[in-house]
Amino acid sequence: MADGGVIPLGPVELAIAGGLVLVAGAVSLALRLKLEHKLGVAALRTVVQLLLVGYVLEWVFRIQSPLVLFAVLGLMTAAAGRAALARSSRTFAGAQLGAFVTLVLTGLTTTFAVTGAIIGVRPWYHAQYVIPLLGMVLGNSLTGISLSLDAVLTDLDEHRERIEMELSLGATAWEAARDSLTDSARRGMIPILNSMTVVGIVSLPGMMTGQILQGASPLEAVKYQIVVMFMLAASTSLGCMSVTLLVVRRVFNERHQLRTERILRR
Amino acid sequence: MTLFEVARVGVSVEGRRLLEDVSLTLDAGELVGVVGPSGCGKTELLRTLGALRDPDSGAVRVGGRAPSELSFPVWRRRVTYVAQRPVMLDGTVRENLHRPSRYASVGATPDEDELRALLERLALAPAVLDQVARKLSVGEQQRVALIRALGIRPSVVLLDEPTSALDPEATARVEDLVRARAQTDGLAAIIVSHDPEQRARWTSRRLDLSAHRARGTGTARHG
Repeated sequence: MADGGVIPLGPVELAIAGGLVLVAGAVSLALRLKLEHKLGVAALRTVVQLLLVGYVLEWVFRIQSPLVLFAVLGLMTAAAGRAALARSSRTFAGAQLGAFVTLVLTGLTTTFAVTGAIIGVRPWYHAQYVIPLLGMVLGNSLTGISLSLDAVLTDLDEHRERIEMELSLGATAWEAARDSLTDSARRGMIPILNSMTVVGIVSLPGMMTGQILQGASPLEAVKYQIVVMFMLAASTSLGCMSVTLLVVRRVFNERHQLRTERILRR
Repeated sequence: MTLFEVARVGVSVEGRRLLEDVSLTLDAGELVGVVGPSGCGKTELLRTLGALRDPDSGAVRVGGRAPSELSFPVWRRRVTYVAQRPVMLDGTVRENLHRPSRYASVGATPDEDELRALLERLALAPAVLDQVARKLSVGEQQRVALIRALGIRPSVVLLDEPTSALDPEATARVEDLVRARAQTDGLAAIIVSHDPEQRARWTSRRLDLSAHRARGTGTARHG
């Protein structure tokens, strides 16, 4: 391992790692947490899901087909859009499509800006770079988007009187919604801002850890991590902003009236 | 000349027809009282006239123009609805009173001397300007909300029980202020009030909504 590079793991090594799950299982048994069953299922899911992803990625990287790549990116984005909505306490008609389009516009553009202009991968849609980067972008954006979405819908729904007061004094829909909009966009951006503040101090990001484990020099790994953090900041803030703007467009009509019945609770 | 015109307006809430064929014309400086049993749609009528919701039939015009001709924010600046329950924003009373000057349709910042004079006319000490608006009593907030609305110089105000939280002294002050604005600036007002004595001394005409209640649900009366 002295010369760096990936240390390949075999079945034996993975089995030893499985022993770590048994430790967790033993704790559950000792404390009668009754989580052994759930733990077993979760461990199995981890193995199966990751192996599947591993095989799919091997295949996608090997065949180098733009068509397949974009299909994979589309699936990833759609899944992220679904996840972003699933956590929100309120929704609106067309939210699914809206979240998807928002993630396509903000996530894909930032990812391609990084692969094309910063890392300089040729071609700019090289699967080996695009897929992991987009994965990180989507993971962060969906958290931000779902926080912003929930915040803006809740605010508009619960503060109808305040918004109508501003409308009745001559405010446009945008002027009346401004406070809700800025608060909600801010709410969605807090997690990424927090992680930018503590990065490297509290935890080493997964990607950087991975590169170091692979034998990359820490300084090289840091440079990549800086690019990634900036990419996540850009895509998350764009995503939060777009999704709040989208909600305001949907919840007000063109006559600057607030239509709270368009906000659906669940 | 007619300032404000309500022509055969119908109002529904969540698909249920409440009012139909409401017609009314107001000249500048006129004050009209609205009466009707509770739940008959007085508030929804005022919100409709303020273009916060659409009428399901009929039309409204101010100075001969419909909301869509003026743009909706400009309409509301001219025909301004003041809710019964006052809504104060974060910050001081002054910040609340200055808020409308942020809107493109309003623009002008209210004059500090005028604000003080208005507060005093409504029996509020000028010192309240620097107090946190949400900490005022409901009665005080109700008066601040009225001043905030009059500050944008509307042509018509739609007042939904504007003195419901006020004592007789403050009530008389509010009535005086609106009456004075009607005489000097030609302000017109449509006022919902449950108090017959108040209507008698404050308004010159009344609109009785019991004559316009919809029969059955979802059926418009024709003819």
